[in-house]
Amino acid sequence: MIAAISEFANRFLGRGDATITVPSFDGALKPNQLLEKAETLLSCEAPEDLAIDGQSLLIADGVRLLRLTGPLPTVIRTFEQPISALTVLPTGRMAVALGGTEVRIYDEITASTPASVFSGNLHAVNALAPAPDGTLLATDGSTLRSVSDWARDLMELGNTGRVFRLDPQTGTIKPLASGLHYAFGAVASGSDVLVSESWRHRLVAIAPDGARRVVLGRLPVYPSRLAPAASGGFWLTAFIARTQLVEFVLREPAFRRRMIAEIDPDYWVVPRLSSGHSFKEPLQGAHIKTMGIMKPWAPPRSYGLVIRLAADGSPRYSLHSRADGVNHGIVAAVECGGDLIMIAKGPGRILKLPLASLDEGIGT
Amino acid sequence: MSETILSLSKATKLYAGVPAIDGVDFELRSGEIHALVGENGAGKSTLTKVMAGVVALTSGAMTVDGVAVAPKTPLEARQLGIAMVFQENSLVPTMTVAQNLFLGQEKFYNRLRGIYIAAQQFLQSLNFDVTPTATVGGLGAAKKQMVEIARAVLHKAKVIIFDEPTATLTPEEKKYFFDLVRDLKKRGVSIIFISHALEEALLLADRITVLRDGKHVVTDDASRFDRTRIVQAMVGRDLSNTLYGARKHKVRTAGRRVLTVQNLKMAPMVKNNSLSVFAGQITGVFGLVGAGRTETFKIVSGVMKRDFFHGGEILLNDRPVRYRVPAPAVKAGIAYVTEDRKVEGFFETASIARNIYLGLLAKFPSGRAWLSRRESNAAGRAWIERLKVRATGDDIKVVELSGGNQQKVVIAKSLIQDPELIIFDEPTRGVDVGAIVEIHELINRLADEGKAVVVISSYLPEIMALSDRILVSRQGKVVEEFSALEASEEKIMYAAIH
Repeated sequence: MIAAISEFANRFLGRGDATITVPSFDGALKPNQLLEKAETLLSCEAPEDLAIDGQSLLIADGVRLLRLTGPLPTVIRTFEQPISALTVLPTGRMAVALGGTEVRIYDEITASTPASVFSGNLHAVNALAPAPDGTLLATDGSTLRSVSDWARDLMELGNTGRVFRLDPQTGTIKPLASGLHYAFGAVASGSDVLVSESWRHRLVAIAPDGARRVVLGRLPVYPSRLAPAASGGFWLTAFIARTQLVEFVLREPAFRRRMIAEIDPDYWVVPRLSSGHSFKEPLQGAHIKTMGIMKPWAPPRSYGLVIRLAADGSPRYSLHSRADGVNHGIVAAVECGGDLIMIAKGPGRILKLPLASLDEGIGT
Repeated sequence: MSETILSLSKATKLYAGVPAIDGVDFELRSGEIHALVGENGAGKSTLTKVMAGVVALTSGAMTVDGVAVAPKTPLEARQLGIAMVFQENSLVPTMTVAQNLFLGQEKFYNRLRGIYIAAQQFLQSLNFDVTPTATVGGLGAAKKQMVEIARAVLHKAKVIIFDEPTATLTPEEKKYFFDLVRDLKKRGVSIIFISHALEEALLLADRITVLRDGKHVVTDDASRFDRTRIVQAMVGRDLSNTLYGARKHKVRTAGRRVLTVQNLKMAPMVKNNSLSVFAGQITGVFGLVGAGRTETFKIVSGVMKRDFFHGGEILLNDRPVRYRVPAPAVKAGIAYVTEDRKVEGFFETASIARNIYLGLLAKFPSGRAWLSRRESNAAGRAWIERLKVRATGDDIKVVELSGGNQQKVVIAKSLIQDPELIIFDEPTRGVDVGAIVEIHELINRLADEGKAVVVISSYLPEIMALSDRILVSRQGKVVEEFSALEASEEKIMYAAIH
């Protein structure tokens, strides 16, 4: 009863959960346009994930697995379902998640039959990462919605994300955590596993005993995949940014119910991986444009961000593509040689930035 | 110009046997602007108080227009044509401008309308844009200064002494004030002004006199001085590199986020303000007066309240907080070092030790059953030593200290609380250069110890010298952020104005 009165008072006064504020991009997250300056290596139809095989770059592009060694990619193989996650283990074995429901491990990239297959309990596997003990970490975003239906999961405040440890030796799947608000990306950090919990805008460390600790909270973005950095620490990608409009919608259950039931999903008030394609999109007019030009500081319907994290998970610096940019929806970043390679899923681009220039320019 | 209107020779004033000024020779020429500079405790105020009849000389002579005088009261000084405009103005806030102008000159029968008409005519003759019927309490700092000046001129002052006249003025108001002073000079009025802002002295004055430790050091034409020479004369050593000259080549890495302000609102000053403050760093907040900086951090520290409806969110260590009074904020580890130390910073008639101890007591919002004089004295002594407060003892009253030492007491009062987040609002306003260096060193040390430090300042060189990251505030919100490595005065000022 008291909770109900408190909630009503908060909604009336705009306090507590009804404050509807978004953290600012400041400190290490201070906006810049570095992602806009990145070189476009390749344009793809549906890029999803990246991995490094020795010195060459592997790209998951829809159902195709590409290798990029020169200016043009070569198709290594094609799967029957879209690749939803990809990684290469230190032993040279390759792991792919197909359609989010199945994880296959191949001894070699070109091997025709998988050495191990994990399925059954998996629903929306969106990231894979090797663990130091030879196992594989997998994040399963939702048990209710598929990988491609993430926006619906957000609108339904989905909290069915899980993290698994897949053991290729024994073929077992061990749950590490469940009840996560969209798990999207994991990386081993000592004995812990760092996991992006997208809908709660945070990184959590999951200890071997299952205990959770918030490593980086209250992000102004929805974090996604993680990758280790060669010089220590991690790269964290963020596929969309938070806005007050979406935060407001997330606090209005009746509106969301009707929106989901009655409106074409393309025009929902949700963040997107790219924007500006239709006049029917939310956020129009003077909110985002002055004299017909998109304001960089406008509320972003789509955004591009990669955050460089220190080993303790604290942000050191970040790379942005702001509201007026195009390299939005960054879902993967890996180091390859002296470069940082990223996927901008919004425009379907593979981007490259020299690491040396990043450390020199913004490593404060 | 060369005619001497006021002079002091071998002027000495002793307080309890200790000389505040010691054998000072001073000469003011007719129609000149004469700047008086020196560290806090150098004897500037005492020297001008002697001229204004507030204190009497122990030995030495004073002449006005070549006639030996010894004014014993401000009234006597005023009759000699000497008026002093104090830093804390002496106007009656509940009376109107006109009533203040004619205060002390009332006739037997006063007609309010007549006073207003006379005041209007007089203010117009000075070209002062002040409404005579306005209540003084409602005026801004610059307008109050104008009323003070007008009153001095009305009293037919030949010499007007200003004590830190620009300390509370905005940049625009300062410019206007300088025009007023130049206008007074044209009318043949001689001006003495005390200022810690050396640029002002160089810009405005015809001649500059430097005092140090109660003694006259040098008097020369302003054109023969530059900033370095003045500072050297003031402190007897070159501080230019340690003060504002040294540009940062390395900044501290941000630690964890201690304070997050999201969409904070307090009409009409703070408008959807958002910012973060990190541990182990100095976050400088720059902005013109009225940019909402002080108000934002006063809300954070519980001195002011945000809007009742949709006032935004403040998070301390990622936990939402809402302080209605400062005590719980102090308990939570937030210390706010006020910009107005004389009004909000200390109890001026209490001792240094008592004041510092009161800072510690503030950590106990519901009171403390046992107060210990021994603890109070020990705390006082420890902090006097640590912050190098120059005082003859820990039991002397704060009002008897110089501005820089008073500021150190205010800082000690906050630091004794062992805060996690320390907000310095204009930490070196009205403080001499020697104390500025010490306060800056202290602020840097706090950041090195891992504290989250915020420095609010309207003085760009101070922001540039101290900050690791610089937030620029404009019209109630933070509009730009710079790393100290990329910031320049031009960039910051552009962001603050445009």
